[in-house]
Amino acid sequence: MSTMTTDMPAEKGQSPAIKREARDRRRALMLLSPGVLWMVLFMILPMIMVVYVSFWTQTTFAVEPTLTTASWERFLSSSTYLSAIGTTLRVWAIVLVATLVVGYPVALFIGLFVKNRTIQTALLVACVIPFWTSFLIRVIAWRPMLGTEGAINVILQKLGIINEPLTFLLFSEFSVLVGMTQIYCVFMVGPITFMIARIDESMIEAARDLGASFGTIFRRIILPLSMPGVIVGAIFVSVMVLGEFATAASLSGRKTNMLGNIIVSQVGSLKWAFAAVAGVVLTLIIAAVITLALRIVDLRKEM
Amino acid sequence: MNTRILRPALAVYTAAFLLFLYGPLIVLAILSFQSQTGGPQFPIQEWSTYWYRHLFGLTETSRISQLPVGDSLVRSLVLAFMTTVVSTVLGTMSAEAFRTRFKGSGPVFYLIILGMMVPGVLVGLGMALLSNFAGIDRAWWGTAFVLHVVYTYPFAFLVMLAIFNRFDRSVEEASMSLGVSPAQTFRRVTFPIIFPGVLSAMLFSFTLSYDEFSRTLFTVGRELTLPLSIYGTFSVEIYPNIFAFGVLTTLFSFTLLVIYGVLMKRFTASRAGRFSGQEEAA
Repeated sequence: MSTMTTDMPAEKGQSPAIKREARDRRRALMLLSPGVLWMVLFMILPMIMVVYVSFWTQTTFAVEPTLTTASWERFLSSSTYLSAIGTTLRVWAIVLVATLVVGYPVALFIGLFVKNRTIQTALLVACVIPFWTSFLIRVIAWRPMLGTEGAINVILQKLGIINEPLTFLLFSEFSVLVGMTQIYCVFMVGPITFMIARIDESMIEAARDLGASFGTIFRRIILPLSMPGVIVGAIFVSVMVLGEFATAASLSGRKTNMLGNIIVSQVGSLKWAFAAVAGVVLTLIIAAVITLALRIVDLRKEM
Repeated sequence: MNTRILRPALAVYTAAFLLFLYGPLIVLAILSFQSQTGGPQFPIQEWSTYWYRHLFGLTETSRISQLPVGDSLVRSLVLAFMTTVVSTVLGTMSAEAFRTRFKGSGPVFYLIILGMMVPGVLVGLGMALLSNFAGIDRAWWGTAFVLHVVYTYPFAFLVMLAIFNRFDRSVEEASMSLGVSPAQTFRRVTFPIIFPGVLSAMLFSFTLSYDEFSRTLFTVGRELTLPLSIYGTFSVEIYPNIFAFGVLTTLFSFTLLVIYGVLMKRFTASRAGRFSGQEEAA
């Protein structure tokens, strides 16, 4: 910097370049401050409040700002709450694997086998369109599909595959898993397709010319290069599934209770401190999952 | 050799996947034409538009109460509009700031992106606790509104950031140095370049806010928004009127999408036309 300033006409000891830089920085700060202020006031502060209230004293219908660890002790010694952690982790793991297994072949087809750009875009749009309908409507749409008199049972009975309607389809953990897989699959398909479509065609051709089978090409080229897409998709799906409660509440018949459902029911009965404890536990789980995902792939390096 | 089998196999798989995505919505749309006596399942007793008329209160009173959509629909639309305006302005300002490099841009970037990642139930709970603590009444236009912006502002920011990344600053500087006023420069140079981004940011903000549910649940107060009044009916038995509502609200979203597409196309077409005209003149 100092060598540059000697060439320039100094004005009050500062070069125009430095002055301009300072002015730009001031302008950037001014433009940013409303947004940053908004996020701090309405996102960071509420999150801090959740942690703070988790140490408040819970009375029958209210919380008092007397600090105590009673809510934490009750939460960690209650089998209901601990099993909610287990349910949350189980549903998360199954849905994550399911969205990956269901979505990856689709991403492979759209990203690698469809050469025509228009068809590629059309297929991706077709995957995204259901996302455009209301979330709650997509959840409730599984009821007439999976119910004892629902579409799947009717079709299976017409085909003579089953005699009695399958009852495990709806109001069970199964329906929650199917519903979530359908709703969140798009977030897996999108990023993976994007990464696969970016793979240089000549690399695959070179491998093929050297006699590599498709299995080898997939294992050695496509899979590693699509990993950042998998991780981005996994982060999206994880964050959304871990914070879920509406799908579990509407499709499980209140049998599947995730941490989100605990929070909702505790708030419903004005047990704010317990809800806050569940909220802090949920935050910790999500933070751990994201940290783990970013350990596997360094996104900044890959993108 | 094996790609010859793999390709059609994956094509069939993708078709099955699309069926999986669309199946429930197709079934829902079919069942929305159930007759008055039929339930929310197969078989269709008789094809009718009864539940659509029921939705608008055009049928004689039945034992099934009308869906409480009227007022909450208006609230949701107003809320979505407020959210759209604020988050588009905030998103554009922040993206503009990111065009100059500054210290601490990394943490600020993640702070903004966090808004779309944090589960709604968590910020919703935090906001409810905060408003209780501060003694502020919860309302859809207050506590719920600020959370909607927290959610949609990152989307608007990312869209605008992508636009500004492709926006060569020297175009603006050229206009300024030729003596065009900043206002004129904005209108004639900056705005046409960023307009597609602004439109996309608005579309994202509006639809996300209109459908937002988990952030609203704890912060809405007494007067409910549309998704919340719909959710309220889930706990009791459901009737095909929910399906009819689902079809209509989906059509509404698609209308927004089509308007967006038309505006976008008309805008890009007129710009292309203008540029080719200039070339001819030169």
